[in-house]
Amino acid sequence: MSRIKPTVDFIHAWQHPDEIADEVEEELRFHVQKRTQANIEEGMTPDEARVAAQQSFGDFERVKVDCVEIKRGFPFNLKALRMGLYIAIACLAGGVALVAVNLPHDNLLGVLWQLAAIAVLMCAFLIGRRKNR
Amino acid sequence: MGKSKAGLLQGTLDMLILKALSLGPLHGYGVGQRIAQISDDTLKIEEGSLYPGLYRLEQRGWVESEWDVSDNNQRAKFYKLTRAGRKQLILEEQNWERLAGATMKALRAN
Repeated sequence: MSRIKPTVDFIHAWQHPDEIADEVEEELRFHVQKRTQANIEEGMTPDEARVAAQQSFGDFERVKVDCVEIKRGFPFNLKALRMGLYIAIACLAGGVALVAVNLPHDNLLGVLWQLAAIAVLMCAFLIGRRKNR
Repeated sequence: MGKSKAGLLQGTLDMLILKALSLGPLHGYGVGQRIAQISDDTLKIEEGSLYPGLYRLEQRGWVESEWDVSDNNQRAKFYKLTRAGRKQLILEEQNWERLAGATMKALRAN
């Protein structure tokens, strides 16, 4: 259930990149305003308070870019997805190999089919094993 | 003796944000304030780094956010902990206690 909203947000972020950037900026500006207000309440002049708030926040544009990039990032564990993909390829190749075994071996095409399916199966296995070390 | 400002270890920021939000929904500024408050002003979050942290936690499904109106009638984005986030906080607290215990044991060794 908790994965649904991040997925919806991810799709929304790709469909409306400007809207996401504006939203992030609004949120960060709110923070700087709150900090400025707090600094004024502590006795700073408005100008001093604003400068101090910007300094304590850090690089505003960098933070904004980082947040937008995270928002547009893929919300799933890529390693698990990649492993699933290898398993799917291996299953597919296994299925093809089974079909190929039942083809007549007296023609070249049948033998090539069989070899190609076994090669794909082996590659999927080796890549999957290497990536998960 | 003056309090020294402890630098935050990499990875502890997520746990602190989760802890701050476990006490109730907050906007980003409020999260920083609450962390400072519950750590008796010892832990000061670098303000800019708080937001990428919040966004990462939201992406993992541990917190969720919605826009609302703040106490001064300004539009603000409020974060709250999800059920998965609450479970994650328990796990991180256990890991942290184990790590802190082991470190103390190592430091006290003769």
